[in-house]
Amino acid sequence: MKEIIDRLQELYPIGDFKQQNKSLALITVDKDKAVDFITRLKNEEGFLHLSIITAVDWLEKNKFQLSYLINNPTTKNSFVVRVMIDRENAEMFSIHHLWEQAATYQRELKEMFGIDFPGSPGVDKPFILEGWHEIPPYRRDFDTKNYSEETYFPREGRTKNVPAEYMKQKLYPDE
Amino acid sequence: MGKINDILSPFTAWKHLVNEPLTVKKPLEREGADRYRGFHKNEIDKCIGCGTCEDICQNAAIDLVPVEGIETKDGDSGLRPKIDYGRCCWCALCVDICTTNSLSMSNEFKWIDEDADNFLFIPGADDKPWNNSEKGWKKPDYNLYDPNRVDMQELHPEDRDKSFIEIVQGYSKEQALKEADRCVECGICTATCPAHMGIPEYIRAIRNDDLEEGLRILYDTNPLPEICGRICTHKCETVCSVGHTGDPLSIRWLKRYIADQNPSERFKEILGTDTIEQNGKKIAIIGSGPSGLSAAHYLALMGYSCTIFEKLPLAGGMMRYGIPEYRLPYDQIDKDINYILSLGVEIKYNVTIGKDNTLDQLHKDFDAVFTGTGLHLGRSTRIPGTEHKDVHFATDLLREISLGNEIPVAEKVVVIGGGNVAMDITRSMARLQNQKFGKVNVIATSLESEDIMPADREEIVEAREENAQIIPGWGPQSIEIKNDKITGLHVIKCLSVFDEEGRFNPKFDENIKDFFEAEMVIESIGQGMDLSYLTDEIKENLKMDNRGRIIVDNNFQSSLEWLFVGGDIIQGPDVIHGIANGHKAAIGIDNYINSKK
Repeated sequence: MKEIIDRLQELYPIGDFKQQNKSLALITVDKDKAVDFITRLKNEEGFLHLSIITAVDWLEKNKFQLSYLINNPTTKNSFVVRVMIDRENAEMFSIHHLWEQAATYQRELKEMFGIDFPGSPGVDKPFILEGWHEIPPYRRDFDTKNYSEETYFPREGRTKNVPAEYMKQKLYPDE
Repeated sequence: MGKINDILSPFTAWKHLVNEPLTVKKPLEREGADRYRGFHKNEIDKCIGCGTCEDICQNAAIDLVPVEGIETKDGDSGLRPKIDYGRCCWCALCVDICTTNSLSMSNEFKWIDEDADNFLFIPGADDKPWNNSEKGWKKPDYNLYDPNRVDMQELHPEDRDKSFIEIVQGYSKEQALKEADRCVECGICTATCPAHMGIPEYIRAIRNDDLEEGLRILYDTNPLPEICGRICTHKCETVCSVGHTGDPLSIRWLKRYIADQNPSERFKEILGTDTIEQNGKKIAIIGSGPSGLSAAHYLALMGYSCTIFEKLPLAGGMMRYGIPEYRLPYDQIDKDINYILSLGVEIKYNVTIGKDNTLDQLHKDFDAVFTGTGLHLGRSTRIPGTEHKDVHFATDLLREISLGNEIPVAEKVVVIGGGNVAMDITRSMARLQNQKFGKVNVIATSLESEDIMPADREEIVEAREENAQIIPGWGPQSIEIKNDKITGLHVIKCLSVFDEEGRFNPKFDENIKDFFEAEMVIESIGQGMDLSYLTDEIKENLKMDNRGRIIVDNNFQSSLEWLFVGGDIIQGPDVIHGIANGHKAAIGIDNYINSKK
C-alpha cells in the first residue's frame, strides 16, 4: 500500500502514513485535496467500496477528524483517509456523487457532530434523534450525564450511597 | 387514494396474525469476541467500594449499595457497585478506571428475562453464569489516571547528614497539580484520618488552584497544617484507593503544599477570623502540644478565652521537643502556633502545674480545664546495666537538642527501639557524630523484624542513607560494662513479638546471640505519662482504668465534669489523634458550659 502512496505523493499532500496492519493503512490528506484524492483512489486504484465515514472530536485542538474507510475488494486492502477540519462552523465537501450511501453517513455526521456537507441529499433531515434541541450529542462538550439526568425519570429500586458519607454514618456517626 | 390507504394500511398488518413469529425467543448461540464488553463481573473481596466506577459512568447506570457480609471498615466502604442495564452503554469506562482492578466485563451479551428488574444486579455478589468466564474486557494497560506519584525532591544524604536542615523540599505548583490530578476523589481516606479531614476536597482545591479554599478546608478539622503536612503519620495514604494498583496519593505533601503556599500574614483574612465575638468564658489548657493547641484553636473560634500553661520555654510539646528539626523546622511550628495565638490564645511558658500552679486552682479560676500533657517520660527495658550514667532515654536527649543544649555524643552508640522516636534519635545521633567525629557509628536495634517495625518505612530508608545501621529482630539482654564504661549491648534473636491473640509476648532463641559494640546506649521503647499534677483528692474522684489511664467519654470529658483530657495520654501516640481529640474536646467543653447555664 506504501507504493500507492509513494506514487501519489507527488500529486497530493499526503501526511502521516501509517501501516496499521498488512491490509490497512492510515493517511492524512488536506481538506481541499481530500475529495480529489478519494476519487483518484476509487477510479484509478480500485478502491471501489466505501465502508464507513466517521468522525472524532479533538476538542482541545479545536478540530474534527473525518475518517473515510475505503476498500479495494480485489486486493482486500483498506485505507483510512483522515481529514482534519475546523471545529467552528464545521463543513466538508460531500462525496455522495462517488457513493450514494455517503449521503446517509453525512446526514448522521451532521446530526451527531454538527458537521455540514452542503449539497448532500437530505443532510438537514433528522436522522435518529427526534426533536433534538441540544448541541450535537457526539461533541465532547455535550454533557451526557446531565442530559440523561434531566431527560429520564429515575428507575424504581435505585438507591444512592456516597462512600465517604456512608462510612461516616457507619463508623463515626457522632463526630 | 392516498387517504384511503392511510386508513386501511394499519389493518393490512392483521394478515400476519396467524403467521409464525419472526422473532426468536433465544438468539443464535454465538459467543462474543474475546475482548467483548458484556455483562460485568466484580471480584467482590478485592473491590473496596470506592465508587469511582459510579463517578465515571456517563449514564448514571451504577449505584453503590451495601452488600450482606461485606463490612464497612478502614479502606473499604462496604458498598459494592450495582449496575442498571437499562442505562449501561457497555463503554467499559468503569472497568478502565477501577482502582483495585476488581471490575471487569465478561464476553456474555445474551440474557433473556421477562422481568426487567432483573437487569439490575450487583456483579460478583449476585450469582450469574458468566461470573467465572475468562473472556471479556479487562482493565487495559493504559491508565485513566497516573499510577505513579510525583517524586518529592529531597536533599541528598551527603547534603543533609551533617546538619539539621529540612530534608524534604516540598512540591512546586506544577508538581502539586500533577499529583492532585491523580486523586479519584473517592473519599475512602476520610474515615481513616483520625481528624476525618476533607482530603478529596482540599486536593480538589489544589486542582482548581484555589489554595485559599484549600486552607479553609484544612482548618475545618486541623489547625496545624504546616506541622501535619510534614510529620503526620498519614494513615490516610495506607488506604488510598489509587494505592491498590499504583502509588497512593501523596496526601501529606499536598497538605503541606497548601499550607506552604498561603502566607501567614493572610491567614486571618482567608479564614475569616479577623474578629471573633467573645463569650466571656475562660478555659485553662495544660500543655501546648497538638491536643492543647487544637482545643485552644477551636475554643477560641467559639469565643472562649483560652490560657495554655506550658512547662517548657516554647510551645509545641512533642512536635518541638520530640521531632528533630530536619523533619519539622521550628519556623514552621511557629507559623502554625502564631496563627492560633493571633486568635487571642495566651500561653504562659515555664509554668509547671503541680509546682508553680495547681489543678485545683485552675478549676477555681476557669470554667473548664483541658489537659493534654503527653508522654514525656522515657521507659526503660530494665535489663542489667541500664542504671549506668551513659544509658539515656531518647525523649530526654531529643528534648535537650531542641532546647539548644549540648548532649553527650559517643563514637559508638546503640539505640534500642524500632519506632519513629528511635529513628529520630538514631538520625540525630548520626548527624551529631558526623559533626563531632566526621563519621557515623550508630546502630538501632528492635525486637520487631523489619516487616513489622513500627517506624515509617521512609524513616528506616533515610536513616540507612545517612549511614546509620538498622538491625531489626533482636532482643536486648544486658549492657556490658567494663571498668565502669559501657562496651556494648548483648542481644539474642527475637523470633516473634506478638502471640496468637496479638498480645505483646516476645519469643526468643537464646542460642542465637550477637553483641553490638557501644559506649553509649539510648532506650527508645515507648514513653510513659507523668500525671503527678493530679492531687490525691482529684485522683480519688477520677475514674481510671487498671493501667492508670484516665477514662474519658466520646467528648474527652473525664468523670470530673470540668476536666477534659486528650492527646497522647488518651489516644495515639501521634499528632493527628491529638488534633482530633482537642477538636472533639473543644466541642465537648462548649456543650458542658452551655449545659451549666
